[in-house]
Amino acid sequence: MFGFNVDKVRKDFPVLNEKIIYFDSACMSLKPKQVVEKMNEYYYKYPACSGRSGHKLAKQVENEVDLARREVQKLIGAGSSEEIIFTKNATEGINLVANAISWEKGDEVIVSDKEHNSNLIPWLKLISQGVVVKVCKGNEDGTFNMKNFKDCFSKRTRLVAIVHVSNLDGVENPIAEIVKISHEKGVWILVDGCQSFPHKAIDVRKLDVDFFAFSGHKALGPTGVGVLYGKKELLNKLNQFIVGGQTVLDSTYEGYDEELPPKKFEAGLQDYAGIIGFGEACRYLKNIGFREIEKQERKLNELATSLLNGKVEIIGPLDAALRGGIFAFNIRGMKTHDVAKMLDASKGIAVRSGAFCVHSWFNARKMDGAVRASFYFYNTEEEVKIFAKEVEKICELV
Amino acid sequence: MVLCLIALPIFAILGIFSVKYRRLVVESLECLFKTVTFQKCKSGLDDRIKSQITGKMLKFSPSAARFFYANYKIISLILLIVFIWSGWVGGVAIYNYVVYGNCNGPDSDKFCILDPTGAGSATCEIPSNVGGGEVITPVKELNRPLIGNEEAELTIIEFGCYVCPYTNEAEGTVERVLEYYGGRVNLQFIVYPLPGHEFSYESSMASKCAEEQGRYEDYHRALFAREMNFNNSTFIEIAAELGLDVGQFETCMLNNTYADEIEKDKAKAIAAGVKGTPTFFVNEQIIVGPKPFKTFKTVINGELGLSWWTKFLDR
Ligand SMILES: Cc1ncc(COP(=O)(O)O)c(C=O)c1O
Repeated sequence: MFGFNVDKVRKDFPVLNEKIIYFDSACMSLKPKQVVEKMNEYYYKYPACSGRSGHKLAKQVENEVDLARREVQKLIGAGSSEEIIFTKNATEGINLVANAISWEKGDEVIVSDKEHNSNLIPWLKLISQGVVVKVCKGNEDGTFNMKNFKDCFSKRTRLVAIVHVSNLDGVENPIAEIVKISHEKGVWILVDGCQSFPHKAIDVRKLDVDFFAFSGHKALGPTGVGVLYGKKELLNKLNQFIVGGQTVLDSTYEGYDEELPPKKFEAGLQDYAGIIGFGEACRYLKNIGFREIEKQERKLNELATSLLNGKVEIIGPLDAALRGGIFAFNIRGMKTHDVAKMLDASKGIAVRSGAFCVHSWFNARKMDGAVRASFYFYNTEEEVKIFAKEVEKICELV
Repeated sequence: MVLCLIALPIFAILGIFSVKYRRLVVESLECLFKTVTFQKCKSGLDDRIKSQITGKMLKFSPSAARFFYANYKIISLILLIVFIWSGWVGGVAIYNYVVYGNCNGPDSDKFCILDPTGAGSATCEIPSNVGGGEVITPVKELNRPLIGNEEAELTIIEFGCYVCPYTNEAEGTVERVLEYYGGRVNLQFIVYPLPGHEFSYESSMASKCAEEQGRYEDYHRALFAREMNFNNSTFIEIAAELGLDVGQFETCMLNNTYADEIEKDKAKAIAAGVKGTPTFFVNEQIIVGPKPFKTFKTVINGELGLSWWTKFLDR
């Protein structure tokens, strides 16, 4: 083992220099050179179709896409690469499931009260088809309330759609237990893994989730690539969503034969460069190791929390270990966007501000939003100290 | 919201060059509209500018940043007033420069940033004129000779001195003006012999002595033709060249025959508030210093009713 060396790692991210402190990885992670180079390899060496044509270049694309799919499969512990569907992003994966189930009037979907719009709106949209969306409330400090969750079930519950790690406060929901309860009731479960996949080791089989959606761009991958994992037998049962080229085995003027998963769901030519690049990102993550990633993030969040606790209002539990790489806060008497703008203007600190697509949660509390610093393994303690100092200065403005 | 007002014209100008600012123009407009209708700016442009500036200040001086943040409303209001004021002054200056060739208008000899050398406004100072008192705008005198067409409808009155470099510099422009208007404009030149300038008094007297013999206009032009290269014999030489009665001319010069006239001319300049030569009066309009032809043209066109705006109004 060589050990984790943040200075060495940072060299892989050309954008990281002393002029910028990037604390917005929960929205979009940075991309290491290796990923960009891998994408360029596609464009320079084999910029062709996959699957349709039989020539050398096409075979190479097919091979690389297949390797990327296997890379993802291994990283999340899926049983087969056919369970990995490439999508545009996590949102598309969730929409796929929402649209591929034959809903009946009165069917119920359970969500948490901390869902990103991407795992809320697709379900709310089903209300027009007679589906009922039940929101199970968490505890005051943002942690999961198992009793409330259990109370949400009824005979008509069809699906649980729940976030694994919240992008709002970094709190991790006890997915294994949630899955167990859901399955006991015979209910499928979809997990929004956007904020967990990039930061912690995932084993979909151990968790026993039915669907697991996440995005590549938050996990060192390029923009425009997401993944939906689904258990094979369930994917077979799902209807198709977006259809066209690649999604059929054969067609006549009267009808068509569906492809098998994952092709059944991957309509049209895909973002091959992105998929191949994401495969490389998975390799990179595996090399760094999720143990090291989690350790580094926790160290940074603990430091930020110790430096700023009492000076700002932290969203979520006080214990930094419960908030992963997310440090969301408010400064009393100051607008969130103002704080973010000042951090950017003073020390080039990139943070997110506003409702980070969890409007429902903020609206229920009559809050405008918060400021969110999200750490990733390439961030340093030095950066956190600078950030804390600037935040303190801003606190003193009011 | 106050800052939107400032931001709007700035972004509007920048917007000509960059799409990024065009979007900001729309935002400032939206903000401005909301402000005048007592709504809250949706775009938060104001807040963004405030935070941006505070953030930049935090880097250098947290206490200054604190002051700015706390007093932002007042500071931006002051900024707005200064902005409108400087916009107005700047606009007037640009107008003056375009129209008259000087920021401060045709009658000014003050510094103009658009004319940094001040060449167009320089005059030979008349030290005795302390200013104040009522200013009497000079009018054409019927018993005084004219340069150019006697029948012209407009007379420029110039206070000048034959040994003043700025009067000399203006001379070419003056002749051009007379020619350009083809007899519609003439000139009455009132001499102001500058104290401390060699031959200023002699040249003034010489022009009057030539007038005695009915050759004022030619002598006046001959004096400028020398371009200030005068010596003790110059004035007799010119008289001889022009075929004047040299004896009579010499007597006139030696007797200082027109000393009173010259004093009267000087008094006239003082009464008109002239502070340096050359100074021109075109009816009520004043042009100070060797301003470009364009300035004269603008002023004279206005007086003759030839400007595009007068034409426009007449239509
Ligand atoms: C928890 C969570 N869910 C869903 C999404 C949406 O991801 P994507 O942009 O890949 O659709 C995000 C990203 O912001 C997220 O943080």
